[in-house]
Amino acid sequence: MTATSKTAPPETGFTQNGDTRGSARVTRETVSTVSVAILCVMLLLSARLINPALGSWSQVETVLVLGFFLVVLSFGQGVVILTGGLDLSLPATITMGGILATSWVGAGNPGEWYLLPGVLVACGLVGLATSAGVIWLRVPPFIMSMAMSIIVASGLLGYTRGTPRGAAPDAAVVLMKSHVFGLPTPVVALVIFAIAGWLFQSRTVYGRYLYAVGTNVDAARNAGVPVTLIRILPYVISAVCAGFVGIALVGYSNGATLRMGDDYLLPSIAAVVIGGSSILGGRGTFLGTVGGALLLTILGTIISALGLEFGLRTIIEGSIILFALLVLREELFQKLRSFGR
Amino acid sequence: MTEVQLQQPAFHDSRPGLVTRLLTGAGLIVMVYVLLYVLYAVQQPKALTSYSIAALINNTAPLALAAAGQAIIVISRGFDLSVAGVISICNVVLAVYPLEGPGGAAVSVLICLAIGAAVGVMNGYLVAVLKLQSIAATLATMIICQGIALVILKAPGGSVAEWISYEMTDRLWGVIPVSGLVLSAVLLIWMVLRRTSFGISLYAIGADESAAALSGINTTRVRLLAHVVAGCAYGLAGFMLSAQTATGNPSAGTPLLMLTFAAVALGGTSLSGGRGGIFATMAGAATLTLLQKVLFSAGIASFYTGMFQGAVLILAVVFSAFLVRLGDRK
Amino acid sequence: MFDNQPEHSIGGTGADRAALSAAGLHKAYGATVALEHADISLVAGKVHALLGENGAGKSTLVRILTGAVAPDAGGMMLNGKPYAPHSLLDARTRKVATAFQELSLIPNLSVAQNLLLPNLPRAFASMVSTRRTLEAGAEILARHGLDRIDPAAEVGRLALADRQRIEITRAIDNAGQVLILDEPTASLAETDWLFDQIRKATQRGVAVLYISHRLAEVREICTEATVLRNGTTIASVDLGDASDGDIFEMMVGRKFAHQRKPRVMRSASGEAARLAVMDLCGHDLQDMSFELRPGEILGVAALEGQGQQELFRMLVGIERPHSGRIEVDGAPVKFSGPRDALKIGSGIAYLPEERKTEGIFSGLSAATNVVLPVMGQAARGILISHGREISVAQAAADRVEMNPRYLSFPIGDLSGGNQQKALIARTLATGAQTLLLFDPSRGVDVGTKQSIYAAIRAFADDGGAVLFYSSELPEIVQLADRCLALYGGRITRRFKGAEITEQSLVAAMLGHVTPEITEGVLA
Repeated sequence: MTATSKTAPPETGFTQNGDTRGSARVTRETVSTVSVAILCVMLLLSARLINPALGSWSQVETVLVLGFFLVVLSFGQGVVILTGGLDLSLPATITMGGILATSWVGAGNPGEWYLLPGVLVACGLVGLATSAGVIWLRVPPFIMSMAMSIIVASGLLGYTRGTPRGAAPDAAVVLMKSHVFGLPTPVVALVIFAIAGWLFQSRTVYGRYLYAVGTNVDAARNAGVPVTLIRILPYVISAVCAGFVGIALVGYSNGATLRMGDDYLLPSIAAVVIGGSSILGGRGTFLGTVGGALLLTILGTIISALGLEFGLRTIIEGSIILFALLVLREELFQKLRSFGR
Repeated sequence: MTEVQLQQPAFHDSRPGLVTRLLTGAGLIVMVYVLLYVLYAVQQPKALTSYSIAALINNTAPLALAAAGQAIIVISRGFDLSVAGVISICNVVLAVYPLEGPGGAAVSVLICLAIGAAVGVMNGYLVAVLKLQSIAATLATMIICQGIALVILKAPGGSVAEWISYEMTDRLWGVIPVSGLVLSAVLLIWMVLRRTSFGISLYAIGADESAAALSGINTTRVRLLAHVVAGCAYGLAGFMLSAQTATGNPSAGTPLLMLTFAAVALGGTSLSGGRGGIFATMAGAATLTLLQKVLFSAGIASFYTGMFQGAVLILAVVFSAFLVRLGDRK
Repeated sequence: MFDNQPEHSIGGTGADRAALSAAGLHKAYGATVALEHADISLVAGKVHALLGENGAGKSTLVRILTGAVAPDAGGMMLNGKPYAPHSLLDARTRKVATAFQELSLIPNLSVAQNLLLPNLPRAFASMVSTRRTLEAGAEILARHGLDRIDPAAEVGRLALADRQRIEITRAIDNAGQVLILDEPTASLAETDWLFDQIRKATQRGVAVLYISHRLAEVREICTEATVLRNGTTIASVDLGDASDGDIFEMMVGRKFAHQRKPRVMRSASGEAARLAVMDLCGHDLQDMSFELRPGEILGVAALEGQGQQELFRMLVGIERPHSGRIEVDGAPVKFSGPRDALKIGSGIAYLPEERKTEGIFSGLSAATNVVLPVMGQAARGILISHGREISVAQAAADRVEMNPRYLSFPIGDLSGGNQQKALIARTLATGAQTLLLFDPSRGVDVGTKQSIYAAIRAFADDGGAVLFYSSELPEIVQLADRCLALYGGRITRRFKGAEITEQSLVAAMLGHVTPEITEGVLA
C-alpha cells in the first residue's frame, strides 16, 4: 500500500524521546552543493585525459564565460522555481532581449545608456504579464509561461518579418569582450553576480519571503507576508535576467537570431534542479544552482569537444535532470539522516 | 431519539443543476465548434463538402489523440510533457523505417503503440512508484525522447510508407474519413474504460489521492496504467501525424505540446484533476484546429497565429477553471 | 473464512479471549521513535478506548493495526492467528476496518461508489454496473439509519457531518472482526446515531477500538481503556474503576491541576474597544456585533461550521464581509489581508486553524517561522543576521515556554506541541495588541496547553486583547472572560464571567435553550 500524505510521519518529536538528535543535519542543499562542486572539478581534471587542451586555464576561462549566461538565466529560473512556479518563457524573452538590442539600439547608438535598460523594462513587462496570469487568472505557471512564450515568439516573428537585423550595441560588446584585472569581464561579472544572487536569495528579507511563499502560500498570507508582491516579482526578475542574457548573447556573437534562446530553457531548469532546489518550491540555494550551471556548461564543452552529435547531448542532458530528480528526493535524505544518528 | 443534527443549517445541495451540468460537460465546446464551423462555412462555402470535412478531421486527428492522452493524465491530476517526445520518436521511426502495405501499416501501428507504452511505463514508474512530480519527471523523459528522435533522424527528411499516408487519410466509400473512424474507436474504448474500476479510480485519484488509497484503490497501479494508456494514445497520435505529413521531423511533436493542454482546457477538463472527459477534449482539439483554418481564411498572417494560440490557451484555462467553480457553487 | 460470532462475546478482559491483540509493538521513523513498546488487546463485543496525549503514539499504533505501516518489532494476533497486514486492503479482507479522522472519502464519486470501493459490482466487459452500485449503496445506508442520504449524491457536496457518517458507515460495514474509530465525533454534533451503530456492531461480536480526546464520550460508550504515553502502553484499565484524575495522571505522568484561575480584568470601560464589529454580514454570517476591549479574553463557542471560520477570516481580511463595519481602536477599517491587519492601528495578529497546512513552513527553521511577520527586525541593513533572528525569536519563544534550543531546527522536525508554541510565539512577536486565535491549543498535549493558556493570560494582563475560538468547551470555561455562542452564523447568546459553564454553552451552541436537549447531550 502506498504511504500517502495523510498517513504522514508521526507527530512524535523531540519532546518525548530523550532528545538524542543534535542539530548537525544532512541537508539536501549542502549535499548537492558540495557534490556538484566536486563533480565540476573532477570533470575538468578528467577532461584533460581526453584532450590535453581541455583542462587548461584558457579552457576554464571559456567555460566560465559561457557559464555566465546560464548562471544569470538560472538565477531567474531558480527564483521562479523557489516560489513553486516554472518559467518556460525564457527562450522567447532571451530572443526578445537580443532582437530589441540589435534592432532598437544597434551598434554605435549614443542613447544606449537609456535604451538598453528600456529593453530590460520591456522584457520585465512580459514577466509581469506572466505573473498576472499566474496570480490573478490562476493559470498554472508552466502553462501561462508557455503561452506567453508562444505569444512573444510570434510577436517577434511578425516584428522582424522572419529576419532579424542590426548589430550588437557597444555596451554589450564591451561587457563580453573586455578584460578586468587580467580576467575576461564576464568571469568577473559571474563571480559578482553569484555572490549578489546568493545574498539576495538567502540573506535578505525578500529572499526569506520567497522561501515562505514557496513552502506554503496560505501560511505565508496568514503570517502577514505580502504574498501578492512576493509572487509578482519572480517572473519579472526571470524575464529581466533573460533579457539581459539576450543582450549579452548578441554582444558575444554580434547578432540576434529568432532561435537564439531555444537552447537555454532546459539547461536553466536542469541547473536549478541539479543544484539541489526542490522543483516543488521552497528549497534550495543559489550557490547550488551556480554549481549546477557550471557543471552543465563543462559537460556541454566536453560533449562538443568529443564531437558527439546533438541528439546524444540532449539525451545526456535529460538523463542528468532525471538523475538529479531521483537523487534529490526527500525520502532519500530522510534515510541518510537516520543513518547518521 | 432527538435528532439534533437535522436542525443544523444545511448549506449544501447535493446535486448540480441541469444548466450547470450542461455547461460543465461537453455541451458547451460542441456548441462553440458548431458556431465556428458556421463561420468557416460562410467564409469558405466549400467547407461543407465531404472532401474538406475529411481534410479537417485528418488535420484534427493527431492533436485530438494526443490531447486525449493528455486528458487522461490531467484527470488523474498530473501533467505530461512527454507527449511531444513520443510523437517525435514515432514520426521519425515511421519515416526512417517505412513498412509498406496493410501488413506493414499494422506493424507500424503496433510499433507506435509500443513506443508510447514504453515511455508511458517509464513515466508511470517515475511518477507513480518513485513519486516524482509529474511535470519534472515528464520534462526529463520528453528531453530524452527528443534526443532519441534526433539520434534516429538528424534533420527533417525520410518518407512514411505510402500505404499509410494514403489509406489513413482517405475516405471509405468516398464519404467516411478513416481518421474519423480511428477517433471513434478511441472514443469507444474510452467509454468502456471510464466505466471500469480503472476509470472510476482514475477520477478518484485525481480528486484526492490519499483518500483513494485509504478507500482501497491501488493508486500506484492506476497512475502507472494511466501513463501507459496515455502513452499509447500519443503513439497513435504520432502514427496519424506521420500519415498526415508523410515525412519525418525529429521535432514533429513539439508544436503539439502546448496545444494538447489548450485542447484539454477548452474541453472543460479541470487542470486540478478529477473532472473532465475525452469527448470534450477531442471537441476542444477540433475547435483549435478549426480556429487555425478560420484565422487563415480570414487572412491573418501566419506570423501571428502563435499569438492567437497563446491567447486561446490562457482563455481556455481560465474558462475551464471558471466552469469548475460554477459547478462547485451550485 | 473467519468466525464472526465468538461464543463468549460477553466477559472480562483477558488476552485469551482477545479478538485482536498486539504485544511489544515498536516503530521508529528515522531517528524518531514513534512507538516504543505498545501492547493492546481488544475483546470481541466490547468497546475499547485508546487514550493518550498528542504524540503519545496513538496514530502510529492505529496505522500499524490498520496495516498502513509495518512495525519494526512486536507481533499481532487476530482471533488466535498471526496478523501482519501489509496494506489497508489486506487488513480489510481480514475484516479489520477503520474510520479515519481525516476522512478518506473521494469527493467526486457518489456516496454509493465510496461505500463500495474498491469492489464495485460488475456488469459485462468488466464494466461497473451503475444500477447495482446504487442499489447496494442504498441498502448499506438503510441498514445504518441513513436512508435520508441519496446514494447517487456526490460526496463532496454533502455536509461535513454527513461525510463523517458515511466514513463511519463504510468502516462498520467492512468490519466483521475489528472496527477502529479514530476521533469519530470530530464533526458530529451529537453521538446518538454513532453510539447506536457502535452498539449494533458490538452485538454482532465486533471488537471496537475507540480513539477520542473527549473523556465524557469515552466513558459513555467504552468499558475499558489503554493509555499510551511516550510510545509505551502505561496501563490497560477498566473504565469503571478509574477516575478522571487517574486517567489524566496516566496520560500526563503527573497530577492534573484543573481549576479556573480567577483573573482580574484590567479593562476600564472608558477605553476605546480594540476591535468593534457592527452588523457584520456575509458568507454565512448574519448581523454579528461585538466589542473586544484591551485586557480582555473573549471566547467563541460553536459547533463545527457555524460561521466561526468566516468570522475570523473576515476580521483579518482573508474574506470580505458583504455589509457591516469593523472598527479598530475606534476607527473604521477595511483589511486587504492579514498583513494589513497587522499594520492597522494597534495591530491584529491571526493564528489559523490548521497548523500544518495554514501555519508552519516546514523546511524553514523554527526561528524563521516565529519572526517571519517582522523579518525586518532580524536584519542589519539589508541583510538578515542569524544571531539577531534567533534573539528576536527567543524573546517570543520565552513567552510560550518554548525551549530555545529548538529554534534552529526546521520546524517540520518538531513535535506538534512545539510547532503550535512557535505559531503562538509568532503572533506575540508581531507586537500586535489584538490576537485572533483559532483553536489555539488544537491537537496539543496537556502540558503544552497550560503553557499556551499562561501566555494568553499574560498577554491580556499586559493590556492585550484576545479573541479565540475553541473546539473544546473546558478551554473556553478556563480561559474566557466573556464568551459568544455562535449558531448558524448568528450570535445566539453572550456570557460573562461565572455564567460561562459547559452546560450553558452547550445549550446556546445547539441554537436553542431547551433543558431536555441540554441534558440529553451532556449525559
